[in-house]
Amino acid sequence: MAVSINFVEKKSIPSEVTMLCGFPDVGLVGVLASSHVISELKLDEMAYVDSDLLPPIVVLHEGLPRAPMRIMGNNNLLVTIAETAIPAVGVQRLMRSFVDWAKSKNVKTLIPIGGIPVQNRQDIEEPKVFGTGSNLDMIKLLDQKGTSVLKEGFMVGPQALIMRYSAERNIPAIALLAQSFYNYPDPEAAAAALKQLANITGIKVDVSKLFEKGEEIRLRAKDVMKRTQRELNKMNKEQEYDLPLYV
Amino acid sequence: MSSHRRRRSIFDLIDEYIEEMESLTEELMPIKQPSWNISTRTIEPLCNVFITHDEVIVTADLPFSDPDSVTAEPIDKRTLEIRAKIKRRICCGDLGITHQKGEFSTFNCQTHIPVPVDMDKKKVKFRKGILEVHLPRKKGYEIKIK
Repeated sequence: MAVSINFVEKKSIPSEVTMLCGFPDVGLVGVLASSHVISELKLDEMAYVDSDLLPPIVVLHEGLPRAPMRIMGNNNLLVTIAETAIPAVGVQRLMRSFVDWAKSKNVKTLIPIGGIPVQNRQDIEEPKVFGTGSNLDMIKLLDQKGTSVLKEGFMVGPQALIMRYSAERNIPAIALLAQSFYNYPDPEAAAAALKQLANITGIKVDVSKLFEKGEEIRLRAKDVMKRTQRELNKMNKEQEYDLPLYV
Repeated sequence: MSSHRRRRSIFDLIDEYIEEMESLTEELMPIKQPSWNISTRTIEPLCNVFITHDEVIVTADLPFSDPDSVTAEPIDKRTLEIRAKIKRRICCGDLGITHQKGEFSTFNCQTHIPVPVDMDKKKVKFRKGILEVHLPRKKGYEIKIK
């Protein structure tokens, strides 16, 4: 049965701009980074996703109902935000539609931001950020900017699918993945990813609040983290720990 | 209306069976509670259990907690209770709860340990707001290799 996925545009969408994607994943790194960028740059709601694949919820902001998956932005930048865990059963269809929509809007570069889980996260003072690219030019760009490229291994989840569909549709894309906790909200990892984003794209935001409000963010994000963890388990997210197969 | 009822396929029957099982499971499941409780002024922290070859590691994320108040005590052979006092005033509004009033003073959760462990030999670390409890596993028997 076909399930509808509609992108409802509230404002004119600029073309040829960079689009950041922050979908719930390990450490909620992408969500925390995206919501920080939205708040710091005071971005407006440009569009939202209406789909039966998302849970039947609205998010209330200032008393007004909002869709849980929205695209915020201005004339130079688009940022997606999802304020609820994406159900594993719909993640492929949602991400495919999402990349198709980005293609239809002539997005210049897609940049999914996420975490890469490390077991010794507590021992790491400043999380390292790794990158992957959808084509060789993007890999070269990462090399030029001094970002370590994830050359082998597995990616699982929304960020992984954005990269795959971007490669298939010839959209330049870079995934930025910061070392993070698997199952605890990690604002420090989000800050590390945003620093690397500034280095690569020139999109600069002050990340000091992610450190100052770190404990508050961890407390407020814990329920979304719990639901995200359940969905990640269904996606076999632990496969990212698997050893790559070399033959 | 036709007097002949269409015969249901095996797939229809399987679908019906699955639906029935799901609805029964829903009925048997306890009603899900929020992760906070105003009457007990507690917040349930995020907590995880990792099983390794020789130990079980329980971790809990306890932001704003007073390090001196953090405890991890067994309440039976397979259950660990984690408690910590919150060092600053946290109101419902701080958590985005606007339809109720109240304050929270404590983190509290009980974690089931899925394999036998020696609770008396636990080692506890608390760093950057994250509790880590190491519990050595009990070895029941050993298979000798000739």
